[in-house]
Amino acid sequence: MTRPTAPDPLKVDQTRARARRGRLQNEQEVMFPVTPMLDMAFQLLAFFILTFKAPTAETHLDLDLPATPAALPAAAKGQARAKPPRAADSDLENDLLVRAQADDLGELKTLRLGEAVLPDLETLGKRLTQYVGLLENKPLRVRLVADDTLRYESAAQIIAVCQTAGVTTIRLNQPGAVPDFRGPSLPGLNVP
Amino acid sequence: MPRRQTTSSVLSPNLTPLLDMVLQLITFFMMLVHFGSRLEGANRTIRLPLAPASLPGSELALDRMSVGIDAQGRLLDADQRPLDENAAALWWDVEAKARRRGLETLKHTAAGDDSLPTLVILRADRDASYGAVRRALAQAQDRGFAHFSLVVLRSRQP
Repeated sequence: MTRPTAPDPLKVDQTRARARRGRLQNEQEVMFPVTPMLDMAFQLLAFFILTFKAPTAETHLDLDLPATPAALPAAAKGQARAKPPRAADSDLENDLLVRAQADDLGELKTLRLGEAVLPDLETLGKRLTQYVGLLENKPLRVRLVADDTLRYESAAQIIAVCQTAGVTTIRLNQPGAVPDFRGPSLPGLNVP
Repeated sequence: MPRRQTTSSVLSPNLTPLLDMVLQLITFFMMLVHFGSRLEGANRTIRLPLAPASLPGSELALDRMSVGIDAQGRLLDADQRPLDENAAALWWDVEAKARRRGLETLKHTAAGDDSLPTLVILRADRDASYGAVRRALAQAQDRGFAHFSLVVLRSRQP
């Protein structure tokens, strides 16, 4: 059995140098092709720039308006089975009444919650929030009775305040449609 | 004799920083993208009312139609044509019948009532009268539309 001889230091150095040269050569050869990726990235960038829309302040107020009894469709002739009736606008007595009067220019002149005159929309929002709190899980419905000459902006602001306060249903009426106010009887809340 | 230094004839600029920048810009635009943030039916002639107290809008229903009301209180159809009161009533009729036919074709069964599931998106001018808006809503209501969405601005547009 022959004993292994120690490696020649000169040969080892030559081998290492060769390996290093080879590795350097390989590193130079491996080039990641950035150009196609850059092309793609520019195309994506162009797409997003072209389809970019500035954020808008638009929002929407949802209204669920139940059908008036006159609007319920009659059963068609020859139809064996009548269609189910639409949800009619009933139980009006439990609605809270918000009245808005307009001045000659159509601006909001007087705002009332029931019979109470309110100074501004903020107060209306606070009162409605109180009502919602007292009703707990029961839905609060509001009937908005406004002059036809009132500017739509004022009406939309009233609707927005109602919605923010947690009113579940808002009905729109013209003056004269609701002759007498009979709000819900809520214990613990005195509307002056 | 000094050894002549060889220079490459092909210039290869370092594109990596450029790529980094572009990818950052893409990320920025992707984060800000708002597909359909502006509700449909936008019309330059209609100046929407400002209602700062309004809440951010929820998701809109798939079945929806957009109508407008100009400052004179006239209804604008989907093609932004102004309609007088009679033409507006006729237009609501046609739209409601078309939708009922569609629902019958799809054999859609209403949940308990006969109202249309279509959401009516109403863009009314801030100077229109409340009466005009209420009458338009009542006309639609009479034809079976029950779900409405009033488009307002939460703050002044820049």
